[in-house]
Amino acid sequence: MDNNITLLSEDLASSFDDIKIVFTDQRMIIMNCRKDSVISLLSYLKNLRYDHLALISCVDRIKENAFELIYILSAYTEDVVKGGINLIVKTELIRDKAEMDTVISVFENAEPYERELHELFGVYFKGHPRLTRLLLDREYPVPPFRKDFDTRKYVRDIFDNVPSVEVKKLKNERT
Amino acid sequence: MRELELYFGPQHLGMVGNFSITLNVEGDRIIKATANPGFLHRGFEKLMEQRTWIQNFPLVCRINVVEPDHMELMYAMAVEKLAGIEVPERAHFIRSIYLELARVGSHLFGLWAYANMLGFDTVANWAMYHRDLILDLFEELTGGRVYHIYIWPGGVRRDFPPGFKDRIVNTLHTIGSRVPDYNDTFFNNRVFHKRSKNIGKISLEQAVGMGAVGQVLRAAGMKQDIRKTETYAAYDKVEWEVHTRIEGDAYSRILVVRDEMIESVHMIFKLLDVIPEGEVYNRIPNPFKWKIPASETYVRCESSRGELGLYLVSNGEDKPYRAHFRTPSYNHGLTILEKALENESIADVGNIMISLYITAPEIDR
Amino acid sequence: MDRNNIIKWLKFPGEMGQKYSLHALYFCTGCGIIEIPPTITTRWDAERFGVIPVSTPRQANLFLITGYVSVKTLRYIIRSYEQMPEPKYTVGFGSCPVNGGMYWDSYNTIKHLDKYIPVDGWIAGCMPRPEAVFVAVTHLWTLIDKGMANGYKKYREEYKQYRANQEQILGELEWPFLF
Repeated sequence: MDNNITLLSEDLASSFDDIKIVFTDQRMIIMNCRKDSVISLLSYLKNLRYDHLALISCVDRIKENAFELIYILSAYTEDVVKGGINLIVKTELIRDKAEMDTVISVFENAEPYERELHELFGVYFKGHPRLTRLLLDREYPVPPFRKDFDTRKYVRDIFDNVPSVEVKKLKNERT
Repeated sequence: MRELELYFGPQHLGMVGNFSITLNVEGDRIIKATANPGFLHRGFEKLMEQRTWIQNFPLVCRINVVEPDHMELMYAMAVEKLAGIEVPERAHFIRSIYLELARVGSHLFGLWAYANMLGFDTVANWAMYHRDLILDLFEELTGGRVYHIYIWPGGVRRDFPPGFKDRIVNTLHTIGSRVPDYNDTFFNNRVFHKRSKNIGKISLEQAVGMGAVGQVLRAAGMKQDIRKTETYAAYDKVEWEVHTRIEGDAYSRILVVRDEMIESVHMIFKLLDVIPEGEVYNRIPNPFKWKIPASETYVRCESSRGELGLYLVSNGEDKPYRAHFRTPSYNHGLTILEKALENESIADVGNIMISLYITAPEIDR
Repeated sequence: MDRNNIIKWLKFPGEMGQKYSLHALYFCTGCGIIEIPPTITTRWDAERFGVIPVSTPRQANLFLITGYVSVKTLRYIIRSYEQMPEPKYTVGFGSCPVNGGMYWDSYNTIKHLDKYIPVDGWIAGCMPRPEAVFVAVTHLWTLIDKGMANGYKKYREEYKQYRANQEQILGELEWPFLF
């Protein structure tokens, strides 16, 4: 497994000049790259048979005023050695105007992940065919998974303000 | 012909779980299907950021009600990887036995749902009764029937009580001796064959392109199982095999489930023969003041529905900074279901939905 | 049957017959649905208490709300409750409908169910055992005997307050006033 990982890191470092490999261990490579070269990097990795997009996630780094988008890939294969490697690709977006191109042209199953991130974080994906509501039911003042949305204050303001129902004494027919 | 819009909605006799599908039909053929999730959304990942590392364990196991044990394993493995905690040998074996019992219980629940959908009430009652026998074992080991908070970062919480091995063996013999009855009544039944062959067919290229995992992938022909490729717990200490089929329709998916159940039972017997003695947990530091150094990781395992993964980020504090679960029903319910329902008839909607093994709380979290 | 029971059967036959055959609506609202199949299948048989699941609200008598209620589900719960014919009884199953339970600080679940529809009894636990459902059904029989299980009458009298609460959370409701 070590051999595979080192070969892959050298291959990536030589083909692309703007990615930085941050961390490797026996089963995982984490790499940073710029926003514009994500699609070409993902198609290159898909040609190397890493064709399973496991997850698209987002982390809110409020102190650096940035969003971090994370793409996690692995391989569909019957080979036991190659099937256990995870590749994590990270990019950074500006927090106030978060926009990104969609990767549906490379991986077809990215559609619900991008819809959910649009709803919960407010990231806009250019070229997505269906950016409508998936999980939530209403509009929130701030997209709810950002760090400046306080859930306890929201619960106190909205749900605890509903009054209990007061009941007058009902006539009991039997007694 | 006119086009109508129907709701296979949350309150429906054929729906297991709180999920809704909007169908555009013309006569009896479905033209377009749209999935509406979101009825069970609690904002889990936001709640996890407001509780400490240990306080999250009772919360994490409630993401998937049918099989909560693999969620606990994922969170414990991720925390151990970030904090650098080792697990003793006996704890690995106990974890494997516990997870395989959970897998058998979850497959029996799926068999109840599917047999009820097709109208085989007898087999559904048998399956639910056998699942109750397994839940009795869990109640003796951990104290709760459904939510057992048993896996801990550093091992498991307590050892087997005396005489527990014999009770596991007796229960599994009781269930295993009924497999010929299941075969005669359900799996070799002509009505079941007619209602499930060539229904909901998914080929291998479609499965690979749309992100299928678990039984959907194995029934289409690819022999991949994360317990073999990225081994965790004690799965590399015993011999076992992965079952596949070729056709990719509902019939092959249910038969793959049956074969996996039988393989799990054999695996438990083999693990009980070679289990070593020793401790069952390594102590963790004071949980009130436990801080984990800043880094990130991604771990995965094979739950009874497919690949389950967790992406965990820590900031050096005493609470997680971001946790994101990758659940197997997400792609099955939102991408594959809409494709598999095109040109099918209305009577097969529940059939296809349950054979794809979709659990609604996993999609919404 | 002793003498009291025979007198009750002769004086109020409709009530006694309806009490011993509560048909529960089949609606899997939340987590608690995992303990309902064991209750209705053969090991803990609920049919000896008269409780069986039915498919539409028009044929149902008892509404078991199993588990937490999110905002999207509340809309469908109110719709199903208003379609059930009277007399109807509601039981909250689990600790989450009581006061929010484990998800007390979540932005998408409602915290107190009896501000929106009337509830006759609660079953505490996470999850309650199947035997807890049977204890609840026998308590409900006692309440029906004394005439105290009158959630549906409360709904009829105080409909304006219930409707105002529902609209405060869900916005404009598209179905007309019921009473």
